Amino acid sequence: MRKLLLGTASLAIAMSLAAAAHAEGYKIGISNTVQGNGWREEMVCAMKAQALASGKVESLNIAHRNTDAAGQLEDIRNLIQAGVNAIVVNPANADGINAAIKEATDAGIVVVAVDQAVTEPSAYILSNNQEQYAYLGAKWLFETMGGKGAVVYMRGAAGAGADNDRDKGFKRAMAEFPEITVAQEVFTGWQQDQGKQQINDIIAAGVPFQGVWTSGIDNVIVDAFVESGAPLVPIVGADNAGFVGQLQSVEGLVGAAVTNPGSVGGAGVELAIRILDGNAPAEKTVLVDPVVWANNTDEGKKLLAEAANPNLSPEWPVSVSIPGWTTYTMDQIIACKGPGE
Amino acid sequence: MKRLIEANAWTVGLAALLALLLIVTKLIQPEFGASGLDSLARAALPFVLATVGMAVVVIAGGIDLSIAAMMAVASVTAARLMEGATDPQSVLVLITVLVLGLAMGAINGALIVVTRVPDIVVTLAMLFVWQGVALLILNAPGGATAPWLRNLIVGGVTLPGFPPGLPPSLTDWIPKAVVVMAIVVTAVWLPIKRSKLGLMFYAIGSDPLAAFRSGVPVGLTRVAAYAVCGLFAALGGLAVTMSTGIGEPIPGPYLLASVAAVVLGGVVLGGGRGGLLGPILAVFVLRLVRMDLTLMSVDPNVAAIVEGTIMVLVVMFGGLLALRGARLDRTG
Repeated sequence: MRKLLLGTASLAIAMSLAAAAHAEGYKIGISNTVQGNGWREEMVCAMKAQALASGKVESLNIAHRNTDAAGQLEDIRNLIQAGVNAIVVNPANADGINAAIKEATDAGIVVVAVDQAVTEPSAYILSNNQEQYAYLGAKWLFETMGGKGAVVYMRGAAGAGADNDRDKGFKRAMAEFPEITVAQEVFTGWQQDQGKQQINDIIAAGVPFQGVWTSGIDNVIVDAFVESGAPLVPIVGADNAGFVGQLQSVEGLVGAAVTNPGSVGGAGVELAIRILDGNAPAEKTVLVDPVVWANNTDEGKKLLAEAANPNLSPEWPVSVSIPGWTTYTMDQIIACKGPGE
Repeated sequence: MKRLIEANAWTVGLAALLALLLIVTKLIQPEFGASGLDSLARAALPFVLATVGMAVVVIAGGIDLSIAAMMAVASVTAARLMEGATDPQSVLVLITVLVLGLAMGAINGALIVVTRVPDIVVTLAMLFVWQGVALLILNAPGGATAPWLRNLIVGGVTLPGFPPGLPPSLTDWIPKAVVVMAIVVTAVWLPIKRSKLGLMFYAIGSDPLAAFRSGVPVGLTRVAAYAVCGLFAALGGLAVTMSTGIGEPIPGPYLLASVAAVVLGGVVLGGGRGGLLGPILAVFVLRLVRMDLTLMSVDPNVAAIVEGTIMVLVVMFGGLLALRGARLDRTG
């Protein structure tokens, strides 16, 4: 028992030491519920870089772990306890964390939801338009397929809000092309290994298809085609560095990357700072529309070439900044350091 | 009194650790008070219920890896059925979900007993089954919760002995979530613990063969233990729905968290020994550590390491103490 107390006492001392050091500026809290995913890591790095580049943020309190909406409620409430001025959150889903957001805004804390929307009206929302993301990519794919044929529909994680929104956009494009059918519909869970296994199975099973739509698990799909020697079909993916590289280097690959910048995190921090400075936007929702970078048009080729940067992690989206919102440099986001780090 | 403390040394130690952590939290964040306790209790509620369910099944010598998936099934069922339901209807939904939990647990238990396949394998398989069932019921987060259920765990209860008229922030120190937790766990566990069934759980946990030779229906008891676990999983799923207001088909991080809290709470993984108070205290300790890490804005990637390290250290210290205790027993 004594040892137990001794151990915790020394832990307590270490903790209180770490709590020292203060300066002027805003204190911003961040809550994110997916860890170890390239997109989300870029988002967090963009948040840190923007906080640093703004010069107005004293410290960041980051709750970044794998959890569900209930866990995110806990994280947001902990951030309220920590006394932050603003919370930038990538919500686990649209409704589940409303209670904690309301508590935060009631306490005078600015809340900005990035990437996905929340239904709590007191929160600001800054997100990529996920429905449009799927619609634009699917429309390009169906047009490239000549308006007919079967497509492999490789979705994200079953039950996730973004996957649901993308499904709506995909279905909207399907409705415009009545001769397009779905050859196979699978959930990659946004996991590289799982997606690769699934496409290998589909190729091996000999299911006929003329195109592949992926929800961002893309470079491993191209790898599977190249490794198995199967004839390439048009492939739609996201603007992940690996896939963008393949669009420029893999011979015979016709494909398009749809932008889905993880840097919305940085834009979210910037929005929070503007609101704290007293410059709140007129609308509570700010949508960032995606762009299609296809390698079968000159314009698309140019965009793809510009986006390539060898220093970026291959799993990061290559669109690392959002004009009008983020002010950090490419080096700052790659360094991934926040204020005081 | 001394004997009582000695017999429950582990639980007392955990309570002391929790008290110490609360003081540390107050030092880190001087404004930590009633609202902090309230958010801590609300965060702990689903974890406590999952942990209690896991503890019961571990005490009976098993383990249930499908607990988080069963919680998801309960959560989406409740959220789906409560959408647009009136208050009396929502009570019916509540009962339905609890029965569903019992049934899911009983299915897990029955499969283990009938097929004689190890519990880890069966419940791992059932994890995927229940996950699929949850997605079939609700393929994306949605549904609703009756407002009275949501309010059940919001805010605090006024401490007795305070003069009326004081602001609630001064007097409401006991979070409603703790009251709900205490009532629910006591209402389910106390009658079991006091009856023959509770004794039989411990009996099949410590030695199934001896229990069988003493006339304990081992198979049926095992099914009952899993059913109780399913019931607590359903309560945990309801707690998730109560706090989020919706149902989530993707299971949360409750499996590993509940096993961790069970071990940290002094329940022996082989079965037969331990209580429920220890694991419940362990949940609060783990949640409070998480809160302190956020308050101190520790690097999130380091935070997970710190959480794990604390867990290992506490269990290690406990093991050392138990060893020393055993040696003293032998010599004295």
